[in-house]
Amino acid sequence: MTEIGFLEVGGLKLREAPARDECFRLVLTDSEMETLEGTGELARKESVHRHMSNEITSLDIAAQCLVEFPDAPWGLRMELARQCWDESRHVAGLARRLVEMGGYKGEFPISVFEWSITCAIDNLAGRLAAQNRTFEAGAMDVVGGNITALREAGDRATADLLEAILADEIQHVRFANRWLKKMAQEDRRVLLKLAMAIRWVSQVNAAVAVLGSGRTELTGSAAPAVNVEDRRLAEFSDEEIGEILKQAGFRSLVAEQPATGP
Amino acid sequence: MSLSVQERARAIATFRFVEVRLMEIAAAWTPTTPEMEAKVLFGRHIWDFAQHADALGRRTFELRSPEQFSLSPAQPFVELLAEAVKVRSTADRLAALYEALLPEMEERYRDYLRRTDALVDAPSCVILERILDDYARQRRDADRLRREIGLPAAPVAEELRRRGSSIQTIVAGPA
Repeated sequence: MTEIGFLEVGGLKLREAPARDECFRLVLTDSEMETLEGTGELARKESVHRHMSNEITSLDIAAQCLVEFPDAPWGLRMELARQCWDESRHVAGLARRLVEMGGYKGEFPISVFEWSITCAIDNLAGRLAAQNRTFEAGAMDVVGGNITALREAGDRATADLLEAILADEIQHVRFANRWLKKMAQEDRRVLLKLAMAIRWVSQVNAAVAVLGSGRTELTGSAAPAVNVEDRRLAEFSDEEIGEILKQAGFRSLVAEQPATGP
Repeated sequence: MSLSVQERARAIATFRFVEVRLMEIAAAWTPTTPEMEAKVLFGRHIWDFAQHADALGRRTFELRSPEQFSLSPAQPFVELLAEAVKVRSTADRLAALYEALLPEMEERYRDYLRRTDALVDAPSCVILERILDDYARQRRDADRLRREIGLPAAPVAEELRRRGSSIQTIVAGPA
């Protein structure tokens, strides 16, 4: 079986990139990506291309979890297998949309950073914490904002597609939350693995920021709006949502008005 | 003579093992296959294989074995699966899975359907017939993909099929 090895970046041991079509230009950091402001035609194409690439990465990560953790509970493996199908449908849907928009595969640079971070973690709980609970949950915030902006720009087709994708992503975050709770109830040491995974994500983000990527944790007005409604559907607790809102720069608001809401 | 409950349980548990292994093979190839369209194909089929394994695993419980019980196949078949997963090129991978392993399992499932009592073992038959339908769709998917991305024919399938057909039964004997 082909093994994907590790590489060292900024003193950290990351996972080597998964295989990609030759047409893609793979970059390591966000600063090398083409980030286009606004909702003009090119910016929307780049956004769809970026989502498509991220979905390929999510598929690779879920598949790799099935391979590297054969002793995981069968119910959890079923969730990961289902996630593979969901992500593959997302890739196909976004590829179709990209072509409809006049774009093509490989038109913009791509990054597989989430793979490199997540698949460097040696335990499944940590990977679920990093990929499903952190990156995918963060993507829920981004996509929620994108849908609104796309509708305002009159791009209903892309907005509808992202809305369908978002519904699936909620389930990916939710099953991770459910299984992590269950795993932690059965073995308290899982909590340490979760804490270490989150610390690992922060460490890598910080190290890459030093390398000049600009991939730092966004706060305040630069950060995407926290998608409270979907985070609730994904079964984040009110306390957790409150903490995320604080991190997003709404500390004073959260202190007075917790995320529990009416 | 039809199969006993114990023989059915052993066969179904063996089939479950193979379906889990097929899921893992497709999963292993997903990050290491460059073509996006092939990844999409594997992603869909990973879920198919997982569902097959799940249905078979529920059936093992009905046949007086533990739920989601798997039984390792006869050693030559285990070795065949291990050999198949090692192939590298996308053309070889599609050939190994869709032209060798799936047809091989199709034959095993049809053989089981011939030998079991279709009335008393109807729940097993329904599961296997659904899997056969899925296999037909999966092979059509793979054919379409081969044409779309212009993959050449790969001789690896013939070699794997030859080895597979030399294995008389994949269900290992009782310990």
